[in-house]
Amino acid sequence: MYYVVTIATFLTMALALIRAILGPSVYDRVLAVNMFGTKTVLLLSVIAFLYGRPDFLDLALAYALINFIGVLAVLEFFRARVARREAENREGA
Amino acid sequence: MTAVFGIFLLTLLVITAVAIVRTRNLFVATMLMGIASLLIAANFFVLDAADVALTEAAVGAGISTVLFLSALALTSDEEKAGSSRRILSFLVVAAAALVVIYATFDKPKFGDPEAPVQAHVAPWYIEKTPEFIDIPNIVTAVLGSYRAYDTLGEVFVVFTAGIGVMFLLSYRRAGHTPTSRAPDPGLRHHLIPRVLGRFLIPFILLFGLYVQFHGEYGPGGGFQAGAIIAAAVILYALLEGEERALQVLSRRVLMGLVAGGAILYSAVGFAGLLLGGNFLDYSVLASDPVKGQQYGIILIEAGVGMTVTGVLLSIFHAFAAREQ
Repeated sequence: MYYVVTIATFLTMALALIRAILGPSVYDRVLAVNMFGTKTVLLLSVIAFLYGRPDFLDLALAYALINFIGVLAVLEFFRARVARREAENREGA
Repeated sequence: MTAVFGIFLLTLLVITAVAIVRTRNLFVATMLMGIASLLIAANFFVLDAADVALTEAAVGAGISTVLFLSALALTSDEEKAGSSRRILSFLVVAAAALVVIYATFDKPKFGDPEAPVQAHVAPWYIEKTPEFIDIPNIVTAVLGSYRAYDTLGEVFVVFTAGIGVMFLLSYRRAGHTPTSRAPDPGLRHHLIPRVLGRFLIPFILLFGLYVQFHGEYGPGGGFQAGAIIAAAVILYALLEGEERALQVLSRRVLMGLVAGGAILYSAVGFAGLLLGGNFLDYSVLASDPVKGQQYGIILIEAGVGMTVTGVLLSIFHAFAAREQ
């Protein structure tokens, strides 16, 4: 049972990786990275049970929290860049 | 089965690495670096190295992405086109790769009980840790007590690297005055990230403290906790703007953390000397040597956590200050 889930997760990770490499738009890649992070959380949880060490779920928790910060950092990066471009255009005009 | 998992993850890692090298867009490279970090962390986890996997997750996937994006905000999106030395560098890399592959033929098989790593001091650590230190996580025992000198060295490396990065980033060209701009609002006006983020920050801090002080019993310790706590403050800076984060933890406090952690670690070592033991020998810190070892590990882990938090946040703020 755990093996089936593990292999399914692996497949999804590979698919997300393909999307991240091929793109084409920036948002595809951001979503793909987010998806990849989620799949890593799932993979860790499944493997923790597969190995019989559920206390390793701590790690999955850390990944979930860190992933959220990463996505927010990307959002903030784009927001700041758009704001800066607008400011530059205003100075130019 | 471990080998199959490992091979699959490492294959994906190679594909990602090639894609990082080939892409010209630096933002895409940053995103792929995040994936590479997650892959290598998952591989560490599959190999049962939970402590390293936690470090890689917190530093590689979390903080590195944030720092790469901060650096990217200072430069353009596209990599500069070709340099003439490409063939030469390719040859050097190919030769190095061949040497490394050749060297792997001599390595012991995966999981071989006769391998030097299993036969050297590892059995001694596993046998003696319950008697000397009495904590379940042997990695923490090795890191904090048996090899405390190395960890002290690592803390000073982190300290020195942090000072170096801040020194480089605070450099300004002569005559260049920073333009004063209205304080950056961050994501303050976006309701969903703000509500969710504010809700999460206390939990991330709590989790960081748990990783810090539970390091003797589960995966974790000062390095991981430092990165997680720094991530929580960075999240606050993203949501509320960088100035607000500096009001909470000012540069002075951060500098205090950076230096204080390293000093705390060394002070524990000297306390051992003064109480009649060796440098970084914690057994003399309490009347019961086992308790002394545990106190010592808790204290030096606190020192490690302080330095790592301080350095990571100082670098983050140094990048942000450079943007203005």
